Amino acid sequence: MTCFKLSLRNAERQAQDYLVYFATMVMAAALIYVFNGLAFSNEVQRLSQALAPLPLVIVFASIVVVGIFGWLVSYATRFMLTRRSRELGLYILSGITNNQVAWIFFLENLAVGVVSLFFGIALGGLLYQVMRAIVLSLFGLPYHFALAFSVPAILLTVAYLFAIYLYALQRNRKRIRRMKIYDLIYYEKQNEDVVIRTGKGRCKIFRASIVLGVAGICLLMTGGMAAGFAGAGCVIFFLFGFFLSFTSGIPAFFDRHPFRKYQGQNLLVFRTLTAKLATMGIVMAVISVIFTATLLTEGGGFMINGLVRGRAVDNACFDLYLSAEGGETDLSSYLDYIAENIPMEQSVLYRIYLSGGTQVMDYICEHADHNRYEYDSDPVLRFSDYAMLRSLAGYSTVEPEVGKYLIHCKSFLKKAMCGYAESISLNGTSLTAGSIHTEHLSQGFYDMTNGRDYILVVPDEAVDGLEIHHTAYAAKTVEPVSETQLAVLNDMSDRDYEEQEDPQGYVFVDTKANEENMAAMQILLLVFPLFYVALALIMTAAAILTIQQLSETDRYRRQFILLHKLGMDRRDMACALRKQFVIYYAMPAIPAVLISVPCILKLCHEPEPGVMIGISSPAAIVTIALGVFFLIYAVYILLAYTSLKRNVLPR
Amino acid sequence: MLQVQNIEKYYGSKNNVTKALDRVSFDVEDGEFLVIMGASGSGKTTLLNCLSTIDTVSAGKILMDGVNIANLSEDALAKFRRERLGFVFQDFNLLDTLTIEENIGLALSLNHISARAVQNRVREVAGKLGITEILSKFPYQVSGGQKQRTACARAMVAGQSLLLADEPTGALDSKASKNLLEIMSTMNRDMDATILMVTHDAYSASYAGRVLFLKDGRVFNELLRGNRGRAVFYHEILDVLAALGGDVSDVF
Repeated sequence: MTCFKLSLRNAERQAQDYLVYFATMVMAAALIYVFNGLAFSNEVQRLSQALAPLPLVIVFASIVVVGIFGWLVSYATRFMLTRRSRELGLYILSGITNNQVAWIFFLENLAVGVVSLFFGIALGGLLYQVMRAIVLSLFGLPYHFALAFSVPAILLTVAYLFAIYLYALQRNRKRIRRMKIYDLIYYEKQNEDVVIRTGKGRCKIFRASIVLGVAGICLLMTGGMAAGFAGAGCVIFFLFGFFLSFTSGIPAFFDRHPFRKYQGQNLLVFRTLTAKLATMGIVMAVISVIFTATLLTEGGGFMINGLVRGRAVDNACFDLYLSAEGGETDLSSYLDYIAENIPMEQSVLYRIYLSGGTQVMDYICEHADHNRYEYDSDPVLRFSDYAMLRSLAGYSTVEPEVGKYLIHCKSFLKKAMCGYAESISLNGTSLTAGSIHTEHLSQGFYDMTNGRDYILVVPDEAVDGLEIHHTAYAAKTVEPVSETQLAVLNDMSDRDYEEQEDPQGYVFVDTKANEENMAAMQILLLVFPLFYVALALIMTAAAILTIQQLSETDRYRRQFILLHKLGMDRRDMACALRKQFVIYYAMPAIPAVLISVPCILKLCHEPEPGVMIGISSPAAIVTIALGVFFLIYAVYILLAYTSLKRNVLPR
Repeated sequence: MLQVQNIEKYYGSKNNVTKALDRVSFDVEDGEFLVIMGASGSGKTTLLNCLSTIDTVSAGKILMDGVNIANLSEDALAKFRRERLGFVFQDFNLLDTLTIEENIGLALSLNHISARAVQNRVREVAGKLGITEILSKFPYQVSGGQKQRTACARAMVAGQSLLLADEPTGALDSKASKNLLEIMSTMNRDMDATILMVTHDAYSASYAGRVLFLKDGRVFNELLRGNRGRAVFYHEILDVLAALGGDVSDVF
């Protein structure tokens, strides 16, 4: 039998034995294909000129992903080498040279890589259609199914996978070529050493790691780059220290509490578990670091998604919006261009005034999360302008209330404002508090919008004599304003600003279409690569945990056969296996959740108030991030559990 | 205690049936030390598997204290194995993740004995079998003989009434074998343990009170030791083995 045939036969067996690893590599190839397909798609590039950096971003993310999957392949092949070293040693014993054995191992792994690449690209072609549908819906465009494979994406996927396998396999090839028969035959006995052996050392490390963990989370929560790096360092030290000391600590706990171990299935569950964990403390720590990174990356992605969408929804109330500082700026040239080039349904030219006082602002600052930012006093809007703006935005009509002022604020302020019933005085006219409205009305982020978070809407005559903060123009157009039209208006604004002898301000131009496109583009450029990396991270870590668990199938089978003979019933065996599974898979996930949840919450509270609400609220983002994480994790756990249960429990 | 009545065991499908046990009958009395001998393929292990409820018989009955074990449900069988049977295997079958103490305590833990009672009971049995010193060690840290004594301790710690041993000296050197057999004899004599042992080895069999010889799935002969010395009994066993078909390599 030639080396090639032997390799193919082994590759087939390997794919069956390590199905989870094989399936992960298929998914890896699919993932790489999908994102690279997206980056080099002409259809996507045509969506917006601002998407020009997308290929660069995806290539950069792909390099990170290649590194992650490279580690998986390197770990998995090394692990398989350990498990199969005896078999490889026997090849040499039979007269095959080290070089030939190294070649067999190289070829069979490469064969697995080639097959996973083939299946991955086929699967990627289908998944790409899902991704296309998502991207097109982001830009509000219709989706039509059109199955096609991207040649640049295929070539890049092949190149990335080749790099992953070549790196990992070359290392193993060198290792086999250097090994002697004895080393190979007894290689499987060389387990990872238990790094900390003494109880005293373990206790110190355990305590120090807990202190570092708490300090690390606190540092991460304080924000800032230096504190962030220091916090990340502390957290990494915590995870390594924790896993190296904790796994050695369980036997010590049982030594102190000998009666606990005979309760229920404790003895079986914890001894089996610690035997496993004691030899893979470092791997567990690395996996926990990866899980933390996954959750932070995922949470960051959802946060940016929520932020971008929240701002877009808030700012994109009007098809076209212009504003200019003060009341003197001449907008006629802009309005002329608009009248000539942009068909209009309705429009309004209006002003935002300043009340001269800060009583509402003071109240809000005291009762809610609000910063003063742009306005020195409470912003005021005439009721007739307000009514027109509501009409342009498609909101219901509001009836004027004689002698009263209305408050239009962002929804997050509603609760605070409901407790406000003070009268205001504008140039001697006293107005009492009226109704409160909370629809989106372009009230944030940019300087010259309809107030910052809130505005007071007063009877028209009440604004007489008030200082003008800025002039604004809002319109409802027949068609969405194009990128070109917006560019012309922005050029006019730039030119006007440069021509001013003593620049006082500029004309701010924005459109609903632009806000929506910008949001879609930012999601594509920032959020998609983050999810790409997060998926690679969780798949890699979960696959390694599962490979480790399934590699114990034979040992578990022998153990349960013995327990069956000793009279343990199947229900108790299944229960013990389930408990062991839950603890094994929960171990690296719990510290990751404890570290990442406060960090994600902190991250979600960073943007300006009122944006991260509803499905983008910090609690919702944490829930969704955890949900997605555990959903993918559960697939691996379920695969491993069903496989192990089927193979190890006596029938 | 145990009555085996005309049991038969067939393996294979319609066209290729192998008869592993053919109308085997015998009784085991309380406190007896019975050995079953025979060449490879004679049905020794099949018989032991049937007795230990790991396998089922094709025909016949196995009565334990008058109860037909074939009529027991799966749960009842598990309970039966837990409470009544103790096992000692050739390859020890200790769990390598548990200490010696925990391996012995496991049998009690499966019987839901209170956690506090487990340790005392384990120490008591370990003292009798001379393995107190190694209780905190793991199986890979002790010798084969110590492992087998651990297996004996596990087989009797929960008060099991019948100890089933499958080639218990098969993986031991002569000194450790002798030591183990003496311990088993002591268990039988001083602790009233009923022992049923399967072995190839005539020397091991000479420690028993009675030897049953199996050939081609049938009981071929039976030897009672009576008041004879062990050396005499050993030679009688060898004679029967020679008559059985000259499996000399199995004898020594």
